[in-house]
Formats: sequence, structure tokens, C-alpha cells
Amino acid sequence: MKNPNKMIMGAAIGIAAITTAIDHTRHKLPEPEESSEQANIIIEGEEDSSPCSLDSDSMSSNSEEVVIEESESSSPCGLGD
Amino acid sequence: MQKITTDKPVVVFSLLGILALSLFLQHEFNIKQSLLFLTGVGLGLSLMHALFGFTGAWRVFIRDRNSAGIRAQIWLIGLSSLLFYPVIAGVFPSLSAGAAMGQVGFSVLIGAFIFGIGMQLGGGCGSGTLFTVGWGQVDMLVTLVFFIIGATVGSAHLGWWLSLPNIGKVSLINEMGWLPALITQLIVLFIIYRLVRLIELKRRQKLSDFSAKIHQGNKVDQLIFGPWPIIWGVVGLTIFGFVTLLLAGYPWSITFAFGLWGSKIWNALGGDVSSWAYWSGGYPNKALNQSVLADITTVMNFGVIAGAMLAAALAGKYAPKDKVTRKRMLTAIVGGLLLGYGARLAFGCNIGGLLGGIASGSLHGWLWLVAGFSGSILGVKIRVWMNLDKPYGASV
Repeated sequence: MKNPNKMIMGAAIGIAAITTAIDHTRHKLPEPEESSEQANIIIEGEEDSSPCSLDSDSMSSNSEEVVIEESESSSPCGLGD
Repeated sequence: MQKITTDKPVVVFSLLGILALSLFLQHEFNIKQSLLFLTGVGLGLSLMHALFGFTGAWRVFIRDRNSAGIRAQIWLIGLSSLLFYPVIAGVFPSLSAGAAMGQVGFSVLIGAFIFGIGMQLGGGCGSGTLFTVGWGQVDMLVTLVFFIIGATVGSAHLGWWLSLPNIGKVSLINEMGWLPALITQLIVLFIIYRLVRLIELKRRQKLSDFSAKIHQGNKVDQLIFGPWPIIWGVVGLTIFGFVTLLLAGYPWSITFAFGLWGSKIWNALGGDVSSWAYWSGGYPNKALNQSVLADITTVMNFGVIAGAMLAAALAGKYAPKDKVTRKRMLTAIVGGLLLGYGARLAFGCNIGGLLGGIASGSLHGWLWLVAGFSGSILGVKIRVWMNLDKPYGASV
């Protein structure tokens, strides 16, 4: 190996990719025991995928009660980066 | 003129990686997530080709009064402010975005000061750490790992820090109106610009030129293979930063993802961060409980690393063969911890806190600048004390 640093970087990228894949798969897997009510809550939560992207579309697709809760908790100002 | 030997295998690898991840994000989430990743690629490419950093620029100014990098940063903040202010103020009905707000108080003051020290010891800031990892610098990989640990620990303590005295969040746009606030901000930036220019002229009798053209064949070749004059970097970062604001709905940020990654790993190892106040509600809690790829800061960080990797390979500079000394390892560990902990307290790093904060009219961004720069002055002194740099008066 001409440049061992390339091997180190390759290993790091590999570990990061595997870790990301595990995390993504873990959250994508359905939970069979889940009641339909719980499933609905999760789906509603997934509408807003960013701290600050509460646009009119995502707001209108949820119930009013959920919108108020989300808009308070998802403020871009509260994250600190 | 030095001949560029492009690292073709790494170029192919990074291009395929970028293509694969952008398609995957579109398939799993939506086109916006994919575009944000590609915007990150653009940011990484701009950072790498222009070697645009905050850490080195601050260090050479503190040591040698070379103000080129700082003047470029002022251009970046000024141009970003010009674009951000009207959008955030809602001047254009079809465009909407939020500001990067943070409370003005001890948390930012101490956090940014710690971050400033960490920048100089760790060898990079938020953006600098990402693009040098993409560049293939192994020592910065160590800094990044401890940056993540520091940000995770910082998120555990944040509640206490936020309870310290503060005056809350202050939006200059709300307080003054967007146009008077913008004009005032540009005047202040102009005064700082003239001041650093004057300081350099007084010490060095001539001004370092940050817009100098580097001859590298034709302009298209230079655009693709680099290196870029720093002013090209300013333009690239301004454009991609603005695209981020429009797509994400808030300014470019980096370090939230570091805390998220660390907390997810800690959870996977058997810890339970959901009991920490920071992760128990709002967006952080949601981010913790969904795929890491659903988080915008994460996909943009991946993009920055991939973009820098592509740029470094195009320029034939990928993975420099430098060996990591024990002393460098120590500073990377300590610096990384300070960077992560400080960024969490300060509502972000030099990008989310300083650039995003100031350009979107949050007063905490200005406090970040003062505290972060002060911390860097101390960090530069520590570097001399540790024999990492020559004493003042000698070149870095």
C-alpha cells in the first residue's frame, strides 16, 4: 500500500456507511405489535423532517392540535445549530 | 505552474458515492433531501478548492496580521446577509425561511470562547473539520471523533448552561426592521473590514490580496481541478448557503448532527439519552427516533465530506501522507472535545452560530464572533507554548 492514510480513510468511510445503514434499517423496520393509533402518531411526526421546514403543506396535513405542538417544538431557533 | 495529477480511482469512487446517496435519499425520503445533500457537495467542493477556512485565517491574522482570510469571511457574511435578510423578513411572499436564533447570554459567551480555543488546537472549525476529513487528513478524523463526543457531552449539560443569565433571543430584523438592520450590519462589517485592513497595512506595509488569480490553464480547468482564488470560494459558499436557506428553511448548520450521531451511538451502546433534557422533546427527540438520514444537517455534512473528497481527488491532493505525531494526536483530542462542547453551548459552530447567526440577523452571532475570536487568541498562544508554532514574529 503506497499510502496508508488512504486505507485509514477507506476504513473510516466503511464504518460510517455500515453504522448509517444499521441506523436507517433499524428505524425503517415496522413494529408488528404497534397499535394502529400509535402508528398514526409516528406517521404524523414524520411529516416534518427538519427542524425548520414547517411549511404550509406539512401544517395543513396534520390536525390542529399536532400543528401547535410541532411548531413550538420544531423551531429553528431552539436547536442551536 | 505545478502539473495536477488527478487521483482517478478516488474521483470515480466519490462520484459514484455521491450519485448513489443522492438517488437513495430521493427514493427513501424526497427530492428535497437529495438536493440538500448535493448542496452539501457544492459547499464541500467550494471549501476544498478555495481552502476556505476560519481557523487558519484567524491564526495568521492574530500572529502575522495577514487579513486576507478575514476580509474574505467579511465578504461572505456581508453577501449572505444581503440575500438572507429580505427572505427571512418575508419580503418575497413566495419565499420563506427562519433565522438561526440563539439566546444572548453566558452560554454563547463561554461556548464560543471554548470553541475558539478548540479551533486552534483541533486544527479546524465546524466546516474546516468536515472538509479536511473529506480531504483525507487522518489527524482531522481524530478531531472529528472527539468533536462528536464533545457535542454529545455538551448536549447532556446544555440545560444547565441555558439557565445562566441571558437576555433571550434578539432578532435585529424584528427590533429594527429588516432594511435599517441590514444597512447597520453592512456598515459595521465595512468598519471591521477597514480596521483589519488598516492593522495589516500598519504591520506589513502591504496588503495581502485575497482575490489574486492563480494561473492554471483555462478558467474551466481551474474551476474543476482547482485551486480557486479565495473569492471564488466566497461566491460558491454564498450561493450554496442561500440554496440551503431556501431548501431547508433555515441557514446552513453543521454541529447539531454531531451531537445526534454521538447520542445515537451512545443509545446503541446501551446508554439512554432520552432522559437528557435536550433530547427529550421537540426536533432533537424526533431526530433521535428516526433514521439519521432524515436529518438535514446529517445529509449536508455527508455532502460536504463527499464534495471535499471529490475536489481533493480532482486536484490530486487526496489523503496527504503526513504522519500523525503524538503531540498532534493530543491536540486533536483536546481540540475536538472543546469544539464539540463549545459548539453545543454556543448554538452552533462558526457556520451555524457565527455565519448563520449574523447573516440571519440574530444578535447572538455577533457575541459568538467576539467570544470565538478571543478564544482563538488564547488558542494561538497555547500553540506557541506547546511548540506547535514558532514564537510570534516568526512565520507560522
